[in-house]
Amino acid sequence: MEIVPKIHVRSRLREMLVRLTAYVTIVVALVVTLFPIYWIAANSFKFDIDIFAVPPEWVPKNPTLKHYDEAFIQRPFLRYALNSFLVAVGTTIVSVCFGTMAGYALARFSYPWQWRRQISFWILSTRMMPPIVSIIPLYLFFNYFDMLNTKSALIIAYTAFNLPFATWMMKSYFQDLPVELEEAAMVDGDTRWGAFLHVALPLARPGLAATAIFCLIISWNEFLLSLIITLTEQSQTLPIGIAGRVTQYNTYWGEISAAGFMACVPIVVFAFMVQKHLVRGLSLGAVKG
Amino acid sequence: MVGSASGMSTAQLRPGGGLERWAERHLRVLMLAPTVIILLGLTIFPSIYMFYAAVHKISPNPDVPWDFVGPGNFVRLLSDQQFHVALLNTTVFTVLAVTVEFLLGLGLALLLDKYIRRLTFLKTMLMIPMMLPPIAVAITWKLIYEPQFGVLNEIMYRLGLPLQAWAGDVDLAMFSIIVADVWQWTPFIFLLMLAGLASLPVEPYEAAALDGASSWRQFWDLTLPFLKPVIAIALLLRVMDALRLFDLVFILTGGGPADRTKVLSLYIYQVAYRFADPGYAAAISLFVLFVTIILSTWFMNRMRLAD
Repeated sequence: MEIVPKIHVRSRLREMLVRLTAYVTIVVALVVTLFPIYWIAANSFKFDIDIFAVPPEWVPKNPTLKHYDEAFIQRPFLRYALNSFLVAVGTTIVSVCFGTMAGYALARFSYPWQWRRQISFWILSTRMMPPIVSIIPLYLFFNYFDMLNTKSALIIAYTAFNLPFATWMMKSYFQDLPVELEEAAMVDGDTRWGAFLHVALPLARPGLAATAIFCLIISWNEFLLSLIITLTEQSQTLPIGIAGRVTQYNTYWGEISAAGFMACVPIVVFAFMVQKHLVRGLSLGAVKG
Repeated sequence: MVGSASGMSTAQLRPGGGLERWAERHLRVLMLAPTVIILLGLTIFPSIYMFYAAVHKISPNPDVPWDFVGPGNFVRLLSDQQFHVALLNTTVFTVLAVTVEFLLGLGLALLLDKYIRRLTFLKTMLMIPMMLPPIAVAITWKLIYEPQFGVLNEIMYRLGLPLQAWAGDVDLAMFSIIVADVWQWTPFIFLLMLAGLASLPVEPYEAAALDGASSWRQFWDLTLPFLKPVIAIALLLRVMDALRLFDLVFILTGGGPADRTKVLSLYIYQVAYRFADPGYAAAISLFVLFVTIILSTWFMNRMRLAD
């Protein structure tokens, strides 16, 4: 009779200790995660002399918008951002339109000789292809057709990895929908296409929105292909503009902090918009969160 | 699964134009065709073209015709020291970064699962790094690593430790790249592991507890086997991503110092543009593509991902 409460006390103490460790870990993880983002933001609002201060100025004492003026008014960062935006939207429209249809087909139809499995597999494997391996042919190809330094070339190149992504995402969302509703619509006289358009598509709307936002993020963040294809501010994207201010002789810290922080802001907004779909989006629909 | 048969029968019931009926009958092909054609054009065509480029010596001057060199570019791979260094660096980076991210992500998920499950807002905050543009991440860490006024050296100074050049130091450059990558991608493993843990069944654990199994035993015999599919997907995606590392290296070190962080993507880029030898770059690219295909096929087959 004496031992029982003793164990009870010990296990409760242990549980409290675990709980405490967990909360401390959460706080530490938050600080480690958010500090770098805070730091780039803080530095974008400092005068150059305060950026170089030792010890570092943890909170800007004389906040200024000087670097935002330098980057977005005097230098063409607004133009870069606009290019990024247009390319991202173009890629997203193409990828989501075709990807939704293909995803639906792979989720619902049957094909002879295991083609459904083979084609799904092949589409996924194109997503695994490292972009660096396609830069040589893409460069030579765009060079041949005089398309280097155009936004259309970027949209074509980005579609190569956004389309397989959109296909797999939509396939996974359509597989979650009950078939019966579409069957009922067809019994009522709707065509197969009609059932897709009027029944499945509206039901998959949250998935469609999440897929589109992920496509926007992927395109907005892309760097390597843009580095190869673009040459001037007519088509250069935001990451290229930022990298261009890290030169051999000088790094324009204020400017790149301002532009870098501005490149992050829409992404953070998007992250919260798709928070329910993060697991699925980041695992190409393979894990359903 | 709704077969095409039901689609056909309803189409025949409805009056409509011949074209419309034809489209309805071939819907399963028509809906898939655009994606397949686009992807064929964007992946198969470049691969063949790349093979064609790899057996030529290509001059940066577009007016000079390509010079057929046969397997010459592939033979060069065997003796090219720089290529071997890049291959080694990519391997070291991939193994170390993914291992650290995996252990850290899994450990955090196991510790925090119970406490963070309902704190969606907090969870999303922790997920932010992996969504950010890699270039923005790179300049952020460049600022932190800055030897003169960077935050990291300030911390070293306060702790009484020797100041370092970090990304500019021969021995610490790769370490610096890995730390930045771990910062960005541990949340990814953490997120997927949390999703895996949330889908665990309850009954086996109740049975194990009744049998008096220790929590360590429960982890090895129950949690880990249940998590295996999610772990495999997480590792596959991380490894594929690590193999293509470019942005961080491009900004933080440019491949230096002394080629210590020169990874395959960066080397291909340098060969193609700085050394103006696209034919040889194509040969290296084919090698990378080959490795990627083998790795991803092996992974995906094992996990039967395509279902």
